[in-house]
Amino acid sequence: MFRTRHLLLKLCLFVLVIGGLFTIFLDARITATFSDKMWDLPARVYARPLELFDGAPVDADDFAYELRVLGYRAVNSPRNPGQFSRYRDRFDVYTRGFDFPGEREASRRVLIEFADRRVKRLSAGGGAVDLMRLDPVHIGGIYPQHGEDRALVRLNEVPETLTLGLMAVEDRDFYAHWGFSITGIARAAWSNLRSGRVVAGGSTISQQLVKNYYLTSERTIVRKLVEVVMAVLLELHYDKEQILESYINEVYLGQEGRRSVHGFELASQHYFDAPLATLGLAQQALLIGMIKGPSLYNPERNPERALERRNVVLGVMAEQGVISPAQAAVAKAMPLGLNRQHSIRGSFPAFLDLVRRQLRQEYRDEDLATRGLSIFTSFDPVLQRQLERSTITVMDQLDSSGELQSAAVVTHFDTGEVAALLGGRRAKFAGFNRALDARRPAGSLLKPAVYLAALEKPRQYSLATELSDTPLTVKTAGSPPWQPQNFDRQSHGPVTLYKALAKSYNLASARLGMTLGLAEVTDMLARLGVENGVPSVPALLLGAGEYSPIDMAVMYQSIAAGGFRMPLRSIRDIVDANGEPLRRYALEYDRTASLQAVHLLHYALRAVMREGTGQGAYRYLGQGFDVAGKTGTTNDGRDSWFAGFSGDLLAVIWIGRDDNGSTRLTGSSGALKVWAHFMSKSSRQPLAYRMPDGVEPHWVDERSGSLTGKGCPHAKLLPFIKGSQPGSRTDCGDVKKDRGIRDWFDTLFGGKE
Amino acid sequence: MMAFRATAGLLALGYLLVLGGCSGLTQPSGSVPAQTSAETDVPAALPEAHRSGSPSASAAWQPLLEKAQSATRRGDYEQALAYLERAQRIDPDSAEVYLGMAQTHQARGDSARARTTAERGLLYCTSNRLCNALRAFVQ
Repeated sequence: MFRTRHLLLKLCLFVLVIGGLFTIFLDARITATFSDKMWDLPARVYARPLELFDGAPVDADDFAYELRVLGYRAVNSPRNPGQFSRYRDRFDVYTRGFDFPGEREASRRVLIEFADRRVKRLSAGGGAVDLMRLDPVHIGGIYPQHGEDRALVRLNEVPETLTLGLMAVEDRDFYAHWGFSITGIARAAWSNLRSGRVVAGGSTISQQLVKNYYLTSERTIVRKLVEVVMAVLLELHYDKEQILESYINEVYLGQEGRRSVHGFELASQHYFDAPLATLGLAQQALLIGMIKGPSLYNPERNPERALERRNVVLGVMAEQGVISPAQAAVAKAMPLGLNRQHSIRGSFPAFLDLVRRQLRQEYRDEDLATRGLSIFTSFDPVLQRQLERSTITVMDQLDSSGELQSAAVVTHFDTGEVAALLGGRRAKFAGFNRALDARRPAGSLLKPAVYLAALEKPRQYSLATELSDTPLTVKTAGSPPWQPQNFDRQSHGPVTLYKALAKSYNLASARLGMTLGLAEVTDMLARLGVENGVPSVPALLLGAGEYSPIDMAVMYQSIAAGGFRMPLRSIRDIVDANGEPLRRYALEYDRTASLQAVHLLHYALRAVMREGTGQGAYRYLGQGFDVAGKTGTTNDGRDSWFAGFSGDLLAVIWIGRDDNGSTRLTGSSGALKVWAHFMSKSSRQPLAYRMPDGVEPHWVDERSGSLTGKGCPHAKLLPFIKGSQPGSRTDCGDVKKDRGIRDWFDTLFGGKE
Repeated sequence: MMAFRATAGLLALGYLLVLGGCSGLTQPSGSVPAQTSAETDVPAALPEAHRSGSPSASAAWQPLLEKAQSATRRGDYEQALAYLERAQRIDPDSAEVYLGMAQTHQARGDSARARTTAERGLLYCTSNRLCNALRAFVQ
């Protein structure tokens, strides 16, 4: 007997000690992690802010699109931030304002007038505004593996009716209990008994919070006991406001694909595209009602059930004195008020992928998913929309079967910033990102590197140098001889250097490359930014190797920028959760190729568009709109490429098949069309002609390659690096008589030469 | 060959006249590649765009340049460059913005970068004053 009692005492003591230790463990767990969890915030990624000033190249309809994706509401007269009205090309906008890194853009009401696809007038309070920017579009986040997303809100920013309503429905004794509520449990038990099934949980807000943070959702007695103990411990360490604030930011309110929606602020953005502080009673009640079953009462999937539940909540709120019965009656008569059709978050998986890769070079995944960073990028939603539209329009004409794939990169070559990116024909589909990960031969897209390497030797080469477009065989040890062919299977004999590139003659290019040496060409590719995937075989001269559209964008970026190599940037700034700037990605470039030689290459790439394989672009572009670029086609038409630039944009387009089969397209019949369609809609500035120091134009006889006079037979004006012009001269002097039709290059000078 | 060229030229001229007549747009003079097939989805031709950015863009970025200068004076070069890069995004073809950048790089002792920036800026300078100021960094 005594022994049994002794044993029982020991057992009790053991249980007490274990229980005590376990409580200490739970306590430590709460104090160590609760504050962190409150700040467990995924990084938010923003698009570029739209800059507005008198003359800004913004189209009225594009501006309306920007406002739509920002979630601005069209009203008759804007009275609150986030509202606007439009009358034809005049907008009255009450901006939200935004904390940019190092600078705040104030919220204000502005009048904006557009004309000829530009901002014509910009004013606020009767005075002109020199420069302003809208808040940037939130395009996505970088979430932890479990895909939780949230947006923090402070308790004092939450509408009072929402907190009171939340307590009325979920935890009436919140401010009175110590973490659990006997009356709450009794009330729940009574409700369950009456209805014969589990209809109420009786968990306090504190219990729900510890369950969400630390426990699984299984329904066992032990789990419930642990939950109660932890809720009490939570109350011991933190005050009611902290607990309520955490709950409001933590509670699970639905799912958007793989991303789960946590907290009222994010739910408000998700379901209504509006900040929590601006929600009406009916919308607040809808969110409160969803806590009970975010899937069951999902207003998008089950609108009737959600409406019913919302009205129950409104009833409880009126019954508890949170709102008046009259307010409840009005709110019950309201529709659900969802505004989800324009949300674009998560619509740009390819660009976010690029941002994530750039971030991972410097940040750990965990930091990105939890530290609440704000990532400001160069993404341009307006350009992206046009890129997607152009791709769909042209691809549907080229291939109705939907088997061909496409990828694209658009950059601002002056700053090296990526503005839009397409990873596949279905832009919203987050699959294989072909813009970054495709490994394809580039065909003639690599040729400019061969010609630039030549033009950097002005003693030997100029645009007028005669090349030989005749068959050649290159023997290499251990592999079959290389015998390139022209696309038309013809050889074209002697041809000027610029024309060989414009017409994309393979034989002349291969001969030129072999004369220069593979090492020279490989070196030039590296200087232009293409260092990986370049094989040391003669076929490299015609594009053999493995390249992605972004590799080609890097190369053409260097060319477009005049021989300055820049790393492509997608991120401008990173700011921490407290708004402190962490990192700025500065504009960087190195001059890696001769300015003058690149200038001559620009001439040849313009000639591609005016008299070579890129002429088809002018079915889309205005005749006076100068652009430069190059087509690329690989064996059997497996890849159709085009890379080119205007005065403000650079774009690289690729079309091919994932199974590497034939597209039956050339660069001209495929990618060029997407490029030209996109440029005709998006580019606002033709390529300007700026002759650098050390270059001068000369009239050359196109047939003989000798200097000649203006107006002489076959006279063509070409730019030369000083001293590299031909030594011979025809016996024809300047003919003053106007020839009628002037050469495209001649018109660039406007007769100034 | 000559006859072919003349015919092609005439065709091009004819096409240009037809195009001009149809669209009512004034096309700049120039030889136009002869085109044989037209597509049904051709978007409207672009109007002749401004050749040197927006005429009034300088009013927009001028205050940014002033802010950059005062940031440079107090030694906050990062902030100065941030202002200048914003100015550059507004008007990428402004030699004055390039000059501001070159000056800022120079002020913080990075003469290599000042030189590269000035070299790029030289592509955009339109006045002797600006060109000379930029050349000073290159020489």
